[in-house]
Amino acid sequence: MDNGTSNSASENETITLKSCDGIEFHIDARIANRYTLLNNWNGGESACIPNVNGKVLEKVLEWCEHHINDPQLNCGDDDSRRRNTIIEEWDENFLSCDQDMLFEIILAANYLEIKPLLDLGCKTVANMMKSKSPEEIRSAFNIDNDYTPEEEEQFRKENEWAEDY
Amino acid sequence: MASKIFMGDIPELMEIILNNLNGEFKSLYSCALVSRHWCKIAIPILWRDPFSFDQKPMFISRYFSSLNEEDKFIVESYGLNIDFPNTLFYYAKFLKILNLLCLMDKVEKWIQFKIFGSQERITLNTVRDNITNLLFKLFVESGATLSKLDFDISNFTIKPKVFYSLGKNDHFFSKLQDIIISVETESDFLNIEENDTLLRILAKKATKVYTLKLDLFDYILKPRLYRALANIIKSQEHLRRFELSCEEGLQSEFYGVISALESQRYTLQEIKLDNCAYSTEFNVLKNCDKLEELHILNCEEEELLKVLDTDFCHISTLEICSYSIDASILIPILENLGIFLQRLKLYSDNQEIYTQQLLRTLMIFCPNLTYLYISFIKFSDQLLKFINSLRKLQFLTLSLIDNGSNDIVKIHVMQLAKILPLTLQYLDLEINWSCPHIDILLRHCDAPLKKLIISKDPDEKKIIDALIGFCVRKKSLIYVNIGRFWILNNFNNNYLNNLKKNLEVYIKLVPYECIIVNC
Repeated sequence: MDNGTSNSASENETITLKSCDGIEFHIDARIANRYTLLNNWNGGESACIPNVNGKVLEKVLEWCEHHINDPQLNCGDDDSRRRNTIIEEWDENFLSCDQDMLFEIILAANYLEIKPLLDLGCKTVANMMKSKSPEEIRSAFNIDNDYTPEEEEQFRKENEWAEDY
Repeated sequence: MASKIFMGDIPELMEIILNNLNGEFKSLYSCALVSRHWCKIAIPILWRDPFSFDQKPMFISRYFSSLNEEDKFIVESYGLNIDFPNTLFYYAKFLKILNLLCLMDKVEKWIQFKIFGSQERITLNTVRDNITNLLFKLFVESGATLSKLDFDISNFTIKPKVFYSLGKNDHFFSKLQDIIISVETESDFLNIEENDTLLRILAKKATKVYTLKLDLFDYILKPRLYRALANIIKSQEHLRRFELSCEEGLQSEFYGVISALESQRYTLQEIKLDNCAYSTEFNVLKNCDKLEELHILNCEEEELLKVLDTDFCHISTLEICSYSIDASILIPILENLGIFLQRLKLYSDNQEIYTQQLLRTLMIFCPNLTYLYISFIKFSDQLLKFINSLRKLQFLTLSLIDNGSNDIVKIHVMQLAKILPLTLQYLDLEINWSCPHIDILLRHCDAPLKKLIISKDPDEKKIIDALIGFCVRKKSLIYVNIGRFWILNNFNNNYLNNLKKNLEVYIKLVPYECIIVNC
């Protein structure tokens, strides 16, 4: 099993990342290597991360730093036996931020292809939907109901079996 | 304003979010009612595996609207009171997981509800089988692409029309990743022809399978079906996991099924064998260069393990569960696996197998263990030295036998606590089938445990004080299970209430299945 520390960067090596609003972060090179943060590096003094602002990038880097020694799963490994169904307390606290920031972190993780953080963020949002009524979910996420009454009625009729759970 | 994630700009993110609700039917139903966009993402997930829904299977009625006129006429001829209104979606095409036995069972229940409106069950085999076939055909022709198929070789008759559709619709099996094939042992007879045909179609169409599990592989199968199973293996492009579970009584004749794994030698990573006697067919495993995991449960492991006796064996996970394990067989294997071995489980039903030499071998040759599970092991200095030597150990399950007096056991628990590696985050400990002296263990443990499994102790105050003391001192412990298979509700109410009341600030008490880490 890869322990995630086998990449070539040494512990003391640092790399500078620049957010889309020009904020620079000096990070452990192992983080940049592991999470492919250097995809947009053109070889200059710092690697620019377009689409992610400084505030969000800071949070993302905080998460990456905390998880730098996590085991890396093989690509496509969906082995449920070892999948941890519990969100660790640190992660839970980390994502206990305001909703806007949570969504920004998910978008950044998606853009930067940090799959474990993306999965964690999506799982957190899914947990916020569990056992809620449609109205409660709309209210929680500020969504407008664009069904016509007829559509909604037909939908309910076709899928009401799922309510019996 | 709502996040753009929810507004349809990035549907793939919305899909990842809602996939986390897979199997939570009511939540998915609520999500689908939020808005039209949410509906488009939630409905395919809601209808991915509806046959796992364990309440009234009334969703089956929705499929009938998609039947062709001829099939609708057949359904009507059974006198079932159903209508065929147009539906918002073509639900059949969302099917991803099909368990044929489950399909048949749910159809039977649906018939009961339609006829009697009650849960009383009668046998209507012909109607059930015919409707099951109609639905099977509908799924095949709907454009659905399965990811998982679970079917029993039984006396259920698949109609020629279904086979015809399967022949014409390549896509239905083309993306299968998991196949489970079982034998329905209660069958009076097997429909050899139909089952053979289905297996041959699978061999032809399902060539991208990652996991193949053959369950209850036993004497009632005919050699012809074994050959068909072997052909499924041979037709795969990249089989990664293979599981074979035989009927009790150790099966030794495999009719080429095991030999067929030779064709997967460059991709096969994991093998699990249960109740298998040794056969020369297993020699093909010597050629599986990519094999990383081997699980041998209740088999003739002495002979099977010899397949690991090759220079290029790089197995990192080894699990052996047996009535007794011969350490002299295991020692050269462990020497061979050496630094590659990272996860090891040795479980013996009730034979103490661990010689000092075995422990010495593990200590010298296998320093990279991150997961260790050993049962029926006597407490010894050698054991302490071995565990102390594991500098990467993260997960430890120990079932210790200690015949010493109570005072001696106390000393042993303290010694064990002191040598637990500082990398350890998971401990499942049992001493003489209980967990005496938890207070001593946690007082002397410096490992930053995050997860702890201990036996139930009648003295709940001792457990409470020990856990609080450890939490205050180490600040690492998060999840604790007390009593393993005992569900919390089975505890005496006062006991449970006391534990919950006193510990809720410090840790989360969780069920065994949420905390256990398997090999």
